[in-house]
Amino acid sequence: MSTALPTDALPIDDSVPIEDIGERHLMPADMTVSEVTTLVAGVTENPAPRGWWMLFIPAVLLAGLMFACIGYLVTAGVGAWGNNAPVYWAWDITNFVWWIGIGHAGTLISAILFLFRQKWRTSINRFAEAMTVFAVLCAAIFPALHTGRPWFDYYLFPIPNQMNVWPNFKSPLMWDVFAVNTYLTISVVFFFVGLIPDLATIRDRSTNLLRKRIYGFFALGWRGSHRHWQHYERAYLIFAAISTPLVLSVHSVVSFDFATSVIPGWHTTIFPPYFVAGAVFSGFALVMTLMLIVRAVFGMHRVVTLKHLDLMTKFMLATSMLVGYAYAMEFFIAWYSGNEYEWWHFFHTRIGLADSTGQRSPYFWAWVAMVSCNVLVPQIFWFKYARRSIPVMFVATLLINVGMWFERFVIIVLSIHRDYLPSAWGIFHPTLIDMGLYLGTMGFFLTMFLLFVRWLPMFAIAELKGILPAAQPSHAPDHHEAPEAPAGELSPAPAE
Amino acid sequence: MNRANEPKTESPVWRSLDERRQSEPRDMRTQHEKHPGALLETRALLDRRGFMQYTGLTAAALGLSGCIRRPVEEILPYTRAPEYQVPGVPLHFATAVSHRGDALGLLATQHDGRPTKLEGNPDHTGSRGATGLIQQQAIWDLYDPDRARIPAQRQGDALRDSSFAAFDQAFDALLETHVANGGRGLRVLARATNSPSFIRLRDAASARLPQLRFHTWDSVNEANILAGARLAFGQPLGTVVDYGAARVVLSIDSDFLGTEPSAVRSARAFGPTRAIERPEQEMSRLYVVESTFSVTGGSADHRLRLAPSQVDAYVRALARTLQTKGDFDLGAIAPAVAVTPLEGFGGHTAWLDAVADDLIAHRGMAPVVLGSGHSPALHGLVHAINLALGNVGRCIKYFAPVDAGATDPVEDLKTLVADIGSGSVETVIILGANPVYDAPGDVDVRAALGRDGLTVIQLSSHRDETSELATWHVPEAHFLEAWGDHRAIDGTVSPQQPLIAPLWGGRAPIELLARVAGEANWRSHYVVRQTFRTRFPGAPNFGREWRRTLHRGVVAGTGGVPLRPPRLQADAIASALARPRESMVDGLELVFLPDSRLFDGRYANNIWALELPEPMTKVVWDNAAIMSPATARQLDVRNNDVLRVSLGEASIEIPAFVLPGHADNTFTLHLGWGRPSAGRYGSGKGFDVRALRSSEHMHHVSGATAIKLPRTYAVVHTQEHGSMEGRPIALDATLEAWREDPRFAQFRSVDPSEGPLWERQDYGEGHQWGMTIDLGSCTGCNACVIACQAENNIPVVGKDEVARGREMSWMRIDRYFVGDEDDPRVALSPVTCQQCEEAPCENVCPVTATSHTPEGLNDMTYNRCVGTRYCANNCPYKVRRFNYLSWHEYLDGDPELIGGVATMTPTYGNMPETRKMQYNPNVTVRMRGVMEKCSYCVQRIEAVKIAGRREHRELRDGDIRTACQQTCATGAITFGDLNDPRSHVARKVRLDRGYHLLAELGVHPRTTFLARIRNTNPAMGTPAAAASEEAEG
Repeated sequence: MSTALPTDALPIDDSVPIEDIGERHLMPADMTVSEVTTLVAGVTENPAPRGWWMLFIPAVLLAGLMFACIGYLVTAGVGAWGNNAPVYWAWDITNFVWWIGIGHAGTLISAILFLFRQKWRTSINRFAEAMTVFAVLCAAIFPALHTGRPWFDYYLFPIPNQMNVWPNFKSPLMWDVFAVNTYLTISVVFFFVGLIPDLATIRDRSTNLLRKRIYGFFALGWRGSHRHWQHYERAYLIFAAISTPLVLSVHSVVSFDFATSVIPGWHTTIFPPYFVAGAVFSGFALVMTLMLIVRAVFGMHRVVTLKHLDLMTKFMLATSMLVGYAYAMEFFIAWYSGNEYEWWHFFHTRIGLADSTGQRSPYFWAWVAMVSCNVLVPQIFWFKYARRSIPVMFVATLLINVGMWFERFVIIVLSIHRDYLPSAWGIFHPTLIDMGLYLGTMGFFLTMFLLFVRWLPMFAIAELKGILPAAQPSHAPDHHEAPEAPAGELSPAPAE
Repeated sequence: MNRANEPKTESPVWRSLDERRQSEPRDMRTQHEKHPGALLETRALLDRRGFMQYTGLTAAALGLSGCIRRPVEEILPYTRAPEYQVPGVPLHFATAVSHRGDALGLLATQHDGRPTKLEGNPDHTGSRGATGLIQQQAIWDLYDPDRARIPAQRQGDALRDSSFAAFDQAFDALLETHVANGGRGLRVLARATNSPSFIRLRDAASARLPQLRFHTWDSVNEANILAGARLAFGQPLGTVVDYGAARVVLSIDSDFLGTEPSAVRSARAFGPTRAIERPEQEMSRLYVVESTFSVTGGSADHRLRLAPSQVDAYVRALARTLQTKGDFDLGAIAPAVAVTPLEGFGGHTAWLDAVADDLIAHRGMAPVVLGSGHSPALHGLVHAINLALGNVGRCIKYFAPVDAGATDPVEDLKTLVADIGSGSVETVIILGANPVYDAPGDVDVRAALGRDGLTVIQLSSHRDETSELATWHVPEAHFLEAWGDHRAIDGTVSPQQPLIAPLWGGRAPIELLARVAGEANWRSHYVVRQTFRTRFPGAPNFGREWRRTLHRGVVAGTGGVPLRPPRLQADAIASALARPRESMVDGLELVFLPDSRLFDGRYANNIWALELPEPMTKVVWDNAAIMSPATARQLDVRNNDVLRVSLGEASIEIPAFVLPGHADNTFTLHLGWGRPSAGRYGSGKGFDVRALRSSEHMHHVSGATAIKLPRTYAVVHTQEHGSMEGRPIALDATLEAWREDPRFAQFRSVDPSEGPLWERQDYGEGHQWGMTIDLGSCTGCNACVIACQAENNIPVVGKDEVARGREMSWMRIDRYFVGDEDDPRVALSPVTCQQCEEAPCENVCPVTATSHTPEGLNDMTYNRCVGTRYCANNCPYKVRRFNYLSWHEYLDGDPELIGGVATMTPTYGNMPETRKMQYNPNVTVRMRGVMEKCSYCVQRIEAVKIAGRREHRELRDGDIRTACQQTCATGAITFGDLNDPRSHVARKVRLDRGYHLLAELGVHPRTTFLARIRNTNPAMGTPAAAASEEAEG
């Protein structure tokens, strides 16, 4: 790709560190292509480590809880949750937005960072893409089940019918249906396309017929020919281009659910960028939490280095400040607009000024939790020590996800529990079904994720190899060990 | 043949000569449509192709239905169709009902034989088309699944189901023995009556059985009022205050718009005097002195909270002030009022001087009314005051009493108990009363009725607390199941016409009484006709007159003629007043009031009543010890703290509830709660306060103590926040302020100048429905709320679900306190769907389940609703209600608590069949998962439109009345076509004090509120000034 460049210019290849300014390779210098293959594909071939089972069994139990809660919910009705009047949406939509937000990191890392040639993404993109798919699945459970009559959910889709009744295209909830479904579809396809060369690698390494057949089926006959690679790279680029606007659109559309309403605390033009920043923030946090676990369980320290983690914490620091700016701006506008209802929401409901009867908001703590977890905690990443300390990162990312859940809770529940007419004010108390379903989706997510980690290449093998020191044209050939051509990459597979 | 004259409907294509000759097929068909059998005429519509299609469809349906087990149902035609009955077309019948000594004419709606809704009879003076809350909820009682269904006889310790035949036999045998002994040892205990038939039979029975004695018992009664009139005039009189003619009203502990007798009659007259339209108009002024915060107090221009023990001193002091200022001659009474120390009621001087000045300035138009809880002597004094003010004959009218033989219920009951104790009673026939539950604590009815050898025959709707001691229990017919008659307080007589044969074969009280009286034909129909026949002596065509009477619901020529009041018996009043008043005891005062919903407990199983918020506290499913904030601080209690309230030996445990504006050092205890055997819904709900009530102190008592117990009880109320927080919601102004700034309300909430993003619908054509709600005349009595519930099949969710905030009522009456916490005034705002033209709910519904009609209604399509609840979130008025669970069957479900979630088997099988019969078939019964809300009674709009189209006439203003509007006694609600310039609603919408709630959101509501105008008296000073005066005094 650098052939068209003027000869006097340095070839711009950001995978080559500029050593003069102290940059180093992303991957350890002694990492070889075969090590990458063995390390990543080996997870799917070797017996699962004990750590995997210790995570998997509770996760499956929790997933079972989710199905039990769903069964109960559909049988009894949405009243099984604590939702009421005026809090018609509570944990259901909070969890939906939270999961959708988590799903954001995947596409951002895969698509936007790909287009911006952030090579460090190769260590986390597969991981994040898988998370996206599972998170969106978890997210979709909530809007699908929060309806009073879920068996009529198909009314939300524009299915031609004899009554000529269409969905209401003015409704942001309708837009949500399109946005989320599009996002899910593209995420799944993008994820799968990226997997193809690596699936072929595993296929080629398989020693038993069943594995060969299964991986072979999903590898879609990949032979690693140049033509394959050419098509593959082009397709990947196109998908990245399609996904990029989706990163921005999905959460913008989700935020329209609130921004287009008339409720103080919801009716805010700042919501689309605010939601997107928050989504990226929470997505990165969860990628990191899980990455730290998997890295420890499977010993992937050489693939995901401290350098990667450092870069991710910087990303979180930046998005945290975007989110913090949004928080501050909401208060500014509530004051500056002079709208008494807005004022009430931000200064009474959120930060707890007393009302005329001397009562204070019952939800002050939720706002405190949100601001401290999302704005204060990430500030620790200004310090290099924190950016390189695994325990600090682990705790901080967990807190960020707690904080992001509270952000959605604050936006959704706090706004509607006290809106225009004080006579209609209420309060929300969750039920065990609320909690069970939320925990259950976490279990479902973890189950899916652990199965992914166990049976699919959790890192993009082919892409990782592209950033190995050995892959650099400038790299001295004497460092090469005995050339061993990974089948999926360089040469056609032997005939079966 | 002139082709131009040929019917246009003739088809150019014809297949047979017959078809060609059939020149007017369409007209033929319309003629058929007028015939009820038109639906059966489908043969002509079914051709070969249609037949094949139907056959195919049926075959497919049969194939499909093989998978689902469907109940086998048979549809049978009537072999003999009921008179006038056209399937699907409701019928209306006039009937009547009594409440607290006054009758109320009703028009009952009947769908295919099932009465579904009660409305006021416009021809009846007691109702003039409106009803109160009690009458609205009464329809539910007809279908109460816990009504007794079959006579029961005591066998050992338990009542065992018997049969009507067995009962009749036993009853006849019993009567025979009493006929033989002249009625010795036979007693009848009945509720107070105003039924001419009952009185006629009572007299006949007394004549037949000379030793028979009648006793009256009503826990909530009008004895003081009657005794007061007897004291003042030497004879019992019915007193009717014509509030319509009043300019200044002073109500002393009288909730005349709520729970006092003739409340609907009063509200009907009083309402228009508050609905002032132009600033130059005159409006009435209402002063209220009361202890608890009542709806009347909420409507007051000036309100003084006063403990009941101070009322006596206040009335005397007022009489003295009036005497001095107005130069009245109270005659012999003067010394009795002269001795009253002024400090007796806290020295609110303005409440004497300014009020007296105002009353005197409006002589003849200034009634003073006293509550039924005060002594006959005080009532006598108030009669004297009214005479002196010249009110009598102008705004106060006296009528012959509805029951000249009425006796004092407390004395009656005590006598009966004493007589049973002395062994002189053999048989007690109880007609409707439930004394074991509602007798005062010091009258041991339970022991008396449980006496060995006593035969107790009880006629009542339920097997209640008294039935536990009955020898025989006979189911009482609901008033919609039996014939009867009622005399209103102004003498108007109405027949009580049944709409349905007794569901379970119940008997009416007059039927049992007729047998005691020895009537050969004791069926209520015959008895009432017999009464009416004697009422129209010698009328040759009684049949036609009878039918006309039934049709109108009022006996022509009865009522409305007041008596000239006899001379005031000043001496008697003076001596009654001079009798030493009971000495005031230190400690808390207790006030016993009938509950606005359960009354004396007889509606305790009515789920609508149980879930209706109390007008001021907004408490549902419970009663509580209601107290002022100052008293709560003093006792260091908060809402939900359980108190032990003791009075002498007796004590009860009851949770506390703090109500701003309540009199200090006083608890209000509502009667009618805590019944152990009310039925499956009402048993054990609330707290029975009867133990503290004694026959001496039926209404209020002092000297009680309260101890806070170390536990709490969750009292659930529907409005957590009582302050408007400065928002322009329920707007009001004083009359002066309004005259200076007539459009003040519109400036508080302004429609934005910018329109919506999309093109606005054109509302210039056709009917455009709109509503106005006059906050000036709304009293918050809740009748509209129940009317809406009955009309629109609104479910009840139970206490726990209300606690969650899931109550379903489409209409709520928001109650805000304004001003001082201890002595606030109340601002009410009835809120239903505002039918916004730019409805925020419609834009956000993803499936278009809520959408706008060309007539400006915001409609719900229940079938389409998936229940995302987005619409409800986006409703700024929060008037949408969601079926979180399967509410209709919910209370009948099997609620096991799993982590605070009531679970239930999702079947309708548990729901009693009778409850289903109440549903209005014109309104969809919503299943779980569906959003619902006020529709402006769209079914009523459509019914009238269809009728108008069929009769080829334009709709007239007032043809369509929503359920809430129809029942509103003060006429606060107006509904109609905004595009009709002559309609009432179009005129009211343009009134100066009209405003839209939350207009600044730009949603263009179709409901317009009319700001309340308070006719304050400048001489009374501001409330704050009054408070400081009080502190100084």
